[in-house]
Amino acid sequence: MAPGAALAPGLTSFLRSLKTNPSEHSVDHLIALLKRRQIRNSRPCAVATTALIEKVVGEFKGHDAMKLLDRVRSVGRRLTAAQPREVVVGNIVRRVLGLIREVVEDNVGGDLIGTSETGRSTPTQHDHGFRPPLNSSISSFSPLRHAAVEPMDASLYASDMSDSGELSRRPPLLSSHTSYAPTSSAPLVNSLFGLFSQPVDSSTNVSTPTGQASPDGKGAHSLNLDRLTELNRSQHFDLKGEVMNGIQELQEELEQSDKQIADLAHEHIHANEIILTHTASTTVQKFLTKAAKNRKFTVVHAETYPHDNTATHEVLLTGRKQGGKAQDEDDKWKCLTELGIPVYVIPDSHVFAIMSRVNKVILATHTVLANGGLVAAAGAHLIAQAAKSHQTPVVVLSGVYKLSPVYPFDLDELIEYGDAGAVVPYEDGEFVDKVDVEHPLYDYVPADLVDLYITNLGGHAPSFLYRIVADHYRTEDVVL
Amino acid sequence: MSETAAKEAVQPPTESKDAKPAEGEAPKSAEGETAKKISPAELKKQKAAEKQARRAQQKTTSGPAATPQGPQSKEGAKQQQKGSKQAPKDDKSRPIPTRTKPSQTNIAPPPPQQQSKREAKQDPKQLGLFFGHLYSQPRKHSMVGTSKDVHPAVLALGLQYSSYTICGSTARMVAMLLAFKALIESYHTPKGTSLSRHLIQLLGPQIEYLRDCRPYSISMGNAIRWLKDIIVKTDPSTPEYEAKRDLLEEIDMFIRERVTAADKLIRDVAVTKILPGDVILTYASSSIVEQTLLQAHASGIPFSVIVVDSKPLFEGKTLARKLANAGLKVRYFLITGASHAIKDASKVFLGAHAMMSNGRLYSRVGTALVSMLANAQSLPVIVLCESVKFTEKVALDSIVGNEVAPPEELLSESERYALLHLKPHLPKSHPVTTEETPAEGAKSAPSDVLKWIEASKNLHHLQVLYDVTPAEYIDMVITEYGSLPPSSVPVVHRLSTNI
Repeated sequence: MAPGAALAPGLTSFLRSLKTNPSEHSVDHLIALLKRRQIRNSRPCAVATTALIEKVVGEFKGHDAMKLLDRVRSVGRRLTAAQPREVVVGNIVRRVLGLIREVVEDNVGGDLIGTSETGRSTPTQHDHGFRPPLNSSISSFSPLRHAAVEPMDASLYASDMSDSGELSRRPPLLSSHTSYAPTSSAPLVNSLFGLFSQPVDSSTNVSTPTGQASPDGKGAHSLNLDRLTELNRSQHFDLKGEVMNGIQELQEELEQSDKQIADLAHEHIHANEIILTHTASTTVQKFLTKAAKNRKFTVVHAETYPHDNTATHEVLLTGRKQGGKAQDEDDKWKCLTELGIPVYVIPDSHVFAIMSRVNKVILATHTVLANGGLVAAAGAHLIAQAAKSHQTPVVVLSGVYKLSPVYPFDLDELIEYGDAGAVVPYEDGEFVDKVDVEHPLYDYVPADLVDLYITNLGGHAPSFLYRIVADHYRTEDVVL
Repeated sequence: MSETAAKEAVQPPTESKDAKPAEGEAPKSAEGETAKKISPAELKKQKAAEKQARRAQQKTTSGPAATPQGPQSKEGAKQQQKGSKQAPKDDKSRPIPTRTKPSQTNIAPPPPQQQSKREAKQDPKQLGLFFGHLYSQPRKHSMVGTSKDVHPAVLALGLQYSSYTICGSTARMVAMLLAFKALIESYHTPKGTSLSRHLIQLLGPQIEYLRDCRPYSISMGNAIRWLKDIIVKTDPSTPEYEAKRDLLEEIDMFIRERVTAADKLIRDVAVTKILPGDVILTYASSSIVEQTLLQAHASGIPFSVIVVDSKPLFEGKTLARKLANAGLKVRYFLITGASHAIKDASKVFLGAHAMMSNGRLYSRVGTALVSMLANAQSLPVIVLCESVKFTEKVALDSIVGNEVAPPEELLSESERYALLHLKPHLPKSHPVTTEETPAEGAKSAPSDVLKWIEASKNLHHLQVLYDVTPAEYIDMVITEYGSLPPSSVPVVHRLSTNI
């Protein structure tokens, strides 16, 4: 809108530059923007990452799926390293990686599953000493791994022995990278079954340490995928085209998720409710606006001072955020107050006092974690806890793209600290000098404080989220 | 009169709405009577107040045109007095220099009567959903229109109340007693009445004025009740000089016993709760917590402090500054970061505005959140509270009884400034966009933002000052009677009032 907006580095300028710049350039550009926090918050990050990955895939030459995977993964690694707390970046990259795998698998039919899996497990016979790289990242532990505990057919194992094991069927989730206690039982089961079918080799199998069933798989992987790509070439399927289609679907999902979430509003807001919410979240505003079309209710808005509280007031006054979003005309929506919904702005300290009148708490989120907890703007924990102590239901609105396979083992790793100058201005030098002023931007809200998640797929209990994670991310990609 | 006044004193701010319409008439007529009775005799003492009123009258040459709710029909004999009494009321447009708050300056446009009337009418309707029952009339920020009986010391005090210069339950109570001391010192019993009867009548308008400036605290209510009690008990036969001396001594004693000595006892006990290596978390600012922390620091216990604070008053900032200046290690969080702050804390010390008889703590808004978090973390929550702040009132939530603060305080000057650029983006239906389009070139001031908010029909800012912390979040209350669980509050309250 304003001409100055084009000059300010941010999502809009990035998307514009993406059209002209080569992908490598754009990657650096996005990294810089992320590092400088010029692109912040989940949605802009998601949009930027998707656009960038689309560009990267678009510029990719050749038909080698493995190389494409590697390329996307390396870009993803650099992006997440640039701003590890914007978990959404990693989520999008993982989604795209999963997409590529899916495309390949779909085209090769059952074959790929067999190939990649056997490809993974074959080396176990040969290099026992090979151990997976230790994952220091918090995300390396996932319930998905438990799937690997499933015992498998002895026939499977037998097929491993034969070099032409491509046609063998296996549960696809067997492909764990790392060795944790649950996984470690897998090889044992393996070898016990194998005792009957493979008298010689399996004996060495038994003696090998736990990691043997879960190698890195890189070398074998590429080996197999090389074979695969040969296969692909012979089949001439359009890897790039299909992946691009998938990415476009992902972009559509990003655009649609708010609307899809808002469509569920009527099921969750009834007449004359008093709803407490916080932050300037577009998702929440759209949700409430949708409900306001034919229900009357009251909104209490905690202003989340000092982080982005200006944006909160902006949203309340005008109905939309001014910063970052320049495509304002096409997503125009009326602000709540215009729809006749009374909005009461309260400071964050009033949450407990007002909670006894509130019927429902609706929280916006930054990231949803696989255990059902969430990372949201600072103050969310207070609100959720106060709601809990008043037995008020807490509803969290989140697009699936914010759902991350990350587990919160180290909370501090997820919490970003902001400019202390927003808390106490630096003009007050004496104070800033002597007192440790801290300004956490995010709160972690444990799963037991949340009653319901509403995503673009529908409503879920927090305990169910791990299943949705499993649906959207491949175990192979959990660690980028 | 004395009885109604006493009742008023006891009455909580919560009922002021109901009481208001009646008060608009009743005390005023009563005032008229007292004024008539006093005026011949005690002119000398009231000279200062008189002068104030007269000066104000000179300013408003327009005369007593239309007072909003002033008593209209009175006998001609009183007309003169009434003139001097009413005239200042019209002077609302003239902001007194003591009105320091920038937020208030913009609510003084040309037609003051209508403005204030509209405000009074609008507010309860707007905010009726939550605290409608608490809105009575906007807080008084000037001394115009006050009864001439109000002592100058009390006048000054009221303004200090309304601008938060004197803030905090104990501080307000002590300041009030000191002002009353000044009043008693300069007091002469008019002929034909006794001190015990007349002084209580005189206290009425003082208390009313203070309440108009800011609803009084529980401790003030307790102190007022106590003061009236000892005044009534004064033997009419004692000579005025002696009676006054006794009263002054009593007040000094009250302050010494119930505040100074109590504080000492409390902090001596509380200091023993601070162990080396502790991280004490406190919310906002409490004088007794501050004293305790400073004393513990002075006695050489190595510990650090986390101050959690909240807008709009930022009282904790003052506390953090004082503690840091004393050499303590202080960390400072806002309430949004409280869940992070609480992780590093080992004990929570809280001040109180009042302790309810059902064991609940009535304190600065946000205290409940902090103690809730502490409770969830199984941290001990210790309340430091003088027994003068105990009350027989009970409360279950923070809504039935509370003090509503002006919503303009919610947005600081810089925040308003940050929102200024929104003007072109305001929704089409917004009155500001429709009416003020020609004045585009004019520079908009930060105060405009408030006007937008006021003008937008459904957007309200809401601010109260206190909240009620459930008793189960509180592990210990330290008073001068010792350390007790919150359930013992009513017992101690009875103990302390029945001495």
